[in-house]
Amino acid sequence: MRLADPTELSKERETIMTDLTRRKMLTVTAASAATAVGSVNFTEPAVADDEADIGLFVKLSAALTGIDESKLAPSVDPIQIKREYYTKAKKHNPAFDGLMQIIRDDPTHAADAANKVMNNSDKDIQFLGRSIILAWYLGAWYERKNLETPPPTPPVPALEVVSKAAYTQAWTWRVAQAHPMGYSELRFGYWSNEPLPLDTFIKS
Amino acid sequence: MCAEKVRKFDAVIVGSGISGVLIAKVLGKAGKKVLILEAGEKLPPDINSYMNRFLLATAKVPESPYPPELFTKGELTDPGTVKAGRPTVLSLGPKSKDGKKSFGDWTDPTQSYFIQKGPLAFGSTYERLNGGTSRHWLGTSLRFVPNDFEMKSKFHPKESGFVDWPVKYHHLERWYADAEKEIGVSADADEQNYLGIKFSSPYPMPKIPLSRVDMAVDKAMAAVKVPVPGLDKIAWKVSSTPAARNSQPYQDRRVCAGNTNCIPICPIQAKYDPSVTMAEALRTGNVEVWYDSVASQVAVDGDGKVTGIDFLRHNRERGHVTGKIYILAGNAIETPRLLLMSKNNGRTRDGVANSGKHKFVGKYLMDHPLYLAWALMPEGQPVWGYRGPLSTAGIEVARDGGFRRNHGAFRVEIGNEGWNFPIGDPDTTTIDFVNGLNFSQLNPEKKALFGPDLVAALNTNLTRQFRLGFLVEQSPDATNTVTLSDQYKDGLGLPRPQINYNLSNYTKQGLAAAEKTATAIFNSMGANEFTSAPADDDPSSFAWPGSKFGRLKYFGAGHIVGTHRMGDDPSNSATNSMQRSWDHDNLYLVGSGAFPTVATANPTLTLAALCLRTADYLVKKVLK
Repeated sequence: MRLADPTELSKERETIMTDLTRRKMLTVTAASAATAVGSVNFTEPAVADDEADIGLFVKLSAALTGIDESKLAPSVDPIQIKREYYTKAKKHNPAFDGLMQIIRDDPTHAADAANKVMNNSDKDIQFLGRSIILAWYLGAWYERKNLETPPPTPPVPALEVVSKAAYTQAWTWRVAQAHPMGYSELRFGYWSNEPLPLDTFIKS
Repeated sequence: MCAEKVRKFDAVIVGSGISGVLIAKVLGKAGKKVLILEAGEKLPPDINSYMNRFLLATAKVPESPYPPELFTKGELTDPGTVKAGRPTVLSLGPKSKDGKKSFGDWTDPTQSYFIQKGPLAFGSTYERLNGGTSRHWLGTSLRFVPNDFEMKSKFHPKESGFVDWPVKYHHLERWYADAEKEIGVSADADEQNYLGIKFSSPYPMPKIPLSRVDMAVDKAMAAVKVPVPGLDKIAWKVSSTPAARNSQPYQDRRVCAGNTNCIPICPIQAKYDPSVTMAEALRTGNVEVWYDSVASQVAVDGDGKVTGIDFLRHNRERGHVTGKIYILAGNAIETPRLLLMSKNNGRTRDGVANSGKHKFVGKYLMDHPLYLAWALMPEGQPVWGYRGPLSTAGIEVARDGGFRRNHGAFRVEIGNEGWNFPIGDPDTTTIDFVNGLNFSQLNPEKKALFGPDLVAALNTNLTRQFRLGFLVEQSPDATNTVTLSDQYKDGLGLPRPQINYNLSNYTKQGLAAAEKTATAIFNSMGANEFTSAPADDDPSSFAWPGSKFGRLKYFGAGHIVGTHRMGDDPSNSATNSMQRSWDHDNLYLVGSGAFPTVATANPTLTLAALCLRTADYLVKKVLK
């Protein structure tokens, strides 16, 4: 015996998921990532002195990416992808210190700081800003040399996918109102319906 | 020599892909003792190791989740070092020039497993591990249309290339139905009964719903006008694609969650792969699998009887295994390779199953050369790709018609993955807008954006992307061949496959018709086409004055077909309709290599139907 038309079922499920997603998306995302990916690669915890800087790094990252801080680094955050990117970026000194100093100087105006980073006369700082944006968006780390001197045809080579979790948490998919390929949190038939509004994905 | 040589089986099967495991399961359930020799590694306890490999891959190509490793120290792994090698789409790059090594040079044996002799590149790849290439298949499970089986009598009565199949649609109909149940196909028979296709029973699961992309294409169909004779009168229509993808729980597997990752790997196994059937075969208690066992020769005695299979372990230990019957279920390149390697000290100088005047083994290599076109919907009309299964619908109405006298037919696959296939998106467009590039053609001013401007640019562009893939019927040509390289060997010292490949005028005309059809569909949708011109040195392209670029590019569809064709007489084929070698009555050559013509749909369902038919014959007539 057949079940009902799956299109009808999917509509019903989309309603359920809409509610679930709106209220619990962050928790579900985090929990699902931890189970689906298996062992999440936590980088070594930053030393205590870094904690404040990590907060500023997220604040600056939000301004650079256009995605809310609480989405990049939710208060309940078992994935801690921010630490992976912070650790990655920190290896690029002195540009990293220069970049962080900009947000330290005026943490209340992150958008201005982002503007200073992306239009900085120091190309190391400017390209580190691009690398940080691309890490959040694609989960991969791009070095300045590959961004500044791209090949004649795509792809621009990435140094590496930062981690399994980084791929599944990449924001470009959410900005497309979708999900990473290979990492759907939705249910059968959702693709027949319009996605949730963009703001649901990137704003608190 | 391995100790296993003393064991005797009813059937020895080479290859654990879908053909091999379907037959193994049927024989095992009938109480027959079966051994499968698999060249690749043992199946891991779950797919997490493959999934993790995919997640960390910088190049997420169809082969990326599976061993062997694609890269060694940043370079493509030298296939001469690999024990059970396989091709990769990364080895389809232009030929090196000016003394500088080109990444993926298609002619470079240190980068390409195939020894490609051209003149054009053969673009399809496969896997050699448990489950075979159906590890990374899309799941499309269309039936062929009746005329696909009768190309000679219906369209080309006076030509030697096209042949009729020894079986017709009505012979296969019940086996199609069995295959659909076996692998779990979701579709609606009332929607699939076009171009003469008839159904005796319903599909086991309801159809997969259309995506927003499908709906947008469908909405424009009524106004499509294709300026190609024979295609100009077609009533264009979108239909849901039958897929081996669960729309309900089935075979203890989950319902599809739309991971948009059928190729290369479904993370929840909602898509059928042969490990499902393998598990059922093993549960019969009559089926064994030996991994790490690369068949190296089909041994034949002086009377033409196959007496065993020689194989090599990856550590080069040799083995030999015997059975009553032997079933080669590699793929349409590895099976002829094995046959051609089997010289038997000169008794079978031209290879096994390859006697007679015409010598069909390795000839008539075919694919569905795929024409890829992509476009952007108008502002304010998103279609929201990157959601749902990779493809949920297609256009099937151009799969048959009088135009097949002149050019290849085609089906159109509607993609749900934005411009991932065409340009590697969303990565390429994202990098463009962050880094001030224009590889995507979406950032002509080469702006480097950040913050809300970046979000807005990416959202409006990524949500309007879509692509169409045209799978074009290739004519059978005796000069498209798989032979053995006399110079290059794999990591076990076995000769690598050498490919000669070209496209006939019939096939090129089909690709040209596909190009015009794509543009007509985009125009009807009001979409802005972004299909780009192929580079002159792209080995998967050819000059075509009628093309808008003066050149046409094609991709491999992964549909490797024709190299041990079946027929009704030894003068026109390597096997009979039961896929039994004309030369050796205890040898069967199964899989899509048995197809006499490539037809107009993805081959897996048809090869599954043929294998179930052969397995039934083996149980009732041969091993009774």
